[in-house]
Amino acid sequence: MTANPLDLEEHLQVTPITISPSTMIEWTRPEPLSALARRCIESLQPGDYEIYDEKLRNFLEEAREVFVRSGVTGMLRAGDLIVAVYTANGDLANASAGTYLHCVTAMLPVKFVMSKYYGNPTVGVQDGDIFYANEARYGGIHNPDQMAFMPVFHGGELIAWVAALTHNPETGAIEPGGMPVTARSRHDEGMKLTPIKIGENFRIRDDMLDMMENFTSRAARMQAIDVRARITGCDRLRRRISELAADRGNDFVRGLLAKLIVEAEQATRRRISRWKDGVYRSTAFMDTIGPTSCLVRGSLAATKHGSDITFDFTGTSPENDGPYNCFPHITAAHAAVTMYAFQFHDLPVSNGALAPFTWIVPEGTVFNADPDAAISSSPMINSLTVSVVQQVFARMMFSSEDRPQVTGNICCQPCSPLVAGPNQHGVPVAELDNALLNTDGHGARQDRDGVDAYGFAYGHATRAPDTEDSELEQQFLRLYFRLRADSGGVGTFRGGTGTEAALVLWNVPFAAWAVYATSSYVPITLGVFGGYPAASAPGISVRNTDLSQKFRRGDADIPRDTIELATQRAIQGEYHFEHTNRPTRAGIEGDVIVATTGGGGGYGDPLARDPELVVQDIRDEAISEWTARTLHGVVYDPATLLVDHDATKAERAKARKERLSRGKPWAEFQAEWSTLRPAEHALTYFGSWPEGVANHPLERT
Amino acid sequence: MKMQITENLDVDVDARVWSCHHCGAALGAAEANYKESCLVAARDPEEIWQPHVREEVTFSYHRDWCRIVEFYCPGCGWLIEVEVLPPGHPITHDIELDLDGLREPQKGAH
Ligand SMILES: [Zn+2]
Repeated sequence: MTANPLDLEEHLQVTPITISPSTMIEWTRPEPLSALARRCIESLQPGDYEIYDEKLRNFLEEAREVFVRSGVTGMLRAGDLIVAVYTANGDLANASAGTYLHCVTAMLPVKFVMSKYYGNPTVGVQDGDIFYANEARYGGIHNPDQMAFMPVFHGGELIAWVAALTHNPETGAIEPGGMPVTARSRHDEGMKLTPIKIGENFRIRDDMLDMMENFTSRAARMQAIDVRARITGCDRLRRRISELAADRGNDFVRGLLAKLIVEAEQATRRRISRWKDGVYRSTAFMDTIGPTSCLVRGSLAATKHGSDITFDFTGTSPENDGPYNCFPHITAAHAAVTMYAFQFHDLPVSNGALAPFTWIVPEGTVFNADPDAAISSSPMINSLTVSVVQQVFARMMFSSEDRPQVTGNICCQPCSPLVAGPNQHGVPVAELDNALLNTDGHGARQDRDGVDAYGFAYGHATRAPDTEDSELEQQFLRLYFRLRADSGGVGTFRGGTGTEAALVLWNVPFAAWAVYATSSYVPITLGVFGGYPAASAPGISVRNTDLSQKFRRGDADIPRDTIELATQRAIQGEYHFEHTNRPTRAGIEGDVIVATTGGGGGYGDPLARDPELVVQDIRDEAISEWTARTLHGVVYDPATLLVDHDATKAERAKARKERLSRGKPWAEFQAEWSTLRPAEHALTYFGSWPEGVANHPLERT
Repeated sequence: MKMQITENLDVDVDARVWSCHHCGAALGAAEANYKESCLVAARDPEEIWQPHVREEVTFSYHRDWCRIVEFYCPGCGWLIEVEVLPPGHPITHDIELDLDGLREPQKGAH
């Protein structure tokens, strides 16, 4: 049965918006339900939705598997991807995602194509077309994230869109690795493809592939293979949807996709309604904008009323001339990684879940920067978003049945070393260390510790790839890669510990390296309700080392963790101590790069932690004896680790008394506090103190 | 009617006051920031995270950049909340409940 042409035209409409980086976020809201979609939903029979929702999920899983098996990059293998199905006018119906970031952003290029090119005779949308995009201005996160998307036609009608997206760690920017720390404007960031057609009649155009390889010539092989992987994943899903249409009809597919969005919105609103109305605020700070260490503030006021939430980011720091900026849809995407993974974890992954949200993101802030701003480190600056969003939800949800979902912050400080250059096989590789990236600590909860090295807040289902595998492909081996003691936030329940690794450049004469990370001077992964933040990440490296002699001699004093490496200094060489975020520099064989991931935030007063759990933490090397004594007030026999409960009780009573004498009444505290000010060099990009209003012009060329 | 709002805080929606969940100590008007009724201390990060080296980075955070501001219950010394702030930065008013809405909990449910 063919749909009425007028109905079909309305069904394909995308709400007109001003197309600009600061307004693309408006398309994250679901399109109004068309008359055709409404009729298609109504014509679904009992059981159809339940059965075919599941079937659709199987299609998504299959396409994802095909995608992963077709590609080569570490980020793809780690699962940093999305495979998604959209309505014909670009609303996200459901997805299989390793990261929820793209659940917000990947629909925007689809809507852009429908809005601008669908009826355009120079482009058009035909069965067999293959579209491609990696430009954040048109809805992406940053240009390493490349997506392929295809229309799904059946019986001559456009019934859906499908997409496959993953991160490519080379973009042809001024530094290798796709996230150039020294980028000062968009012109330093390499290949940025607006949504374009790169294939027709189900064939990829070679001229388009050649263009992309030319842009990414530092590691063209990864580009060439993974473009095909994206399209292969995409096309598998397209085929399955079109088979479903052949089996059950176009109206059935339209009804199923539309219902997923309607259902998600209704369920999301029901959930929000059970939280307490009010305004919830959080403020968090970072200590870098990439090339420069400085304070940056993220501010969020979340107003929850009935089933609606307004996120207002007023008070966030001014944009800067480094790459730590972004656009509003990118901030929304980083809010959504929390929302889809926790608050709405059991609902369809559709933008119906975004319908209750209104976003206020002031222009000129790091979250709503100039269209020419460098934004390639947008995931880094959004550590602020991931932190403050978790904080406001913890407060909003505590007194509801959703309390089990309340946590100290899940680590919000991604840490990824990047190493680039020919590997031991002579193949050029520019790749992140995804093992570190995917072993952050989880936040503590009301009744349990956070999971150690659980994963990555930005990618709820990504995983650390096999370390042997990556040492085969990459230019380094690891002296150690282990859980890091004292990295989880202390509390009644402890934040999960993060990890630490020392990478040695090995089997290559030289390589370029960088580390993308934050939180050496100021914590960003916060605790909640009296729990402490996660620990500081020191930036340590050792250059011109004697490691090759040490290996040959079989020395037994190779350090087994970072504190030992930094304090014992068994490796001869030049020791460097700096902020953990380190722009690209050259290294030679034997150089050691230390990188540490963050733990999770703690939950509740540390003096209320069960003393038996504290000594168990010592046994597990999760915390030091210093922490046990200083923060938990636990008294135990250091030889047997047996707790002296009476002495602990007395020690804790003493500690509470000390708090009462240390703490000052508000007025007295304010009188002293308000005279303080951070170090001047920390305020370079903060704006006016403490308002944070931009106070110097930016040099963007 | 008393309601638990966080791990450490209750609010009495009729009397419109905050109180400590552990000892019941009053923590000011529910419209105001409960932090103003706590005892407050701004701590050097090295009191919370042990430094291991005296270099540009120490394994602890940096006191020129931030302090760990702790809010204690004046009644029982419980650590009600912790805030990370640059020295001198204004304190956050983190929870401002719709107190009228709290008295009719189903309001707004669709
Ligand atoms: Zn108390």
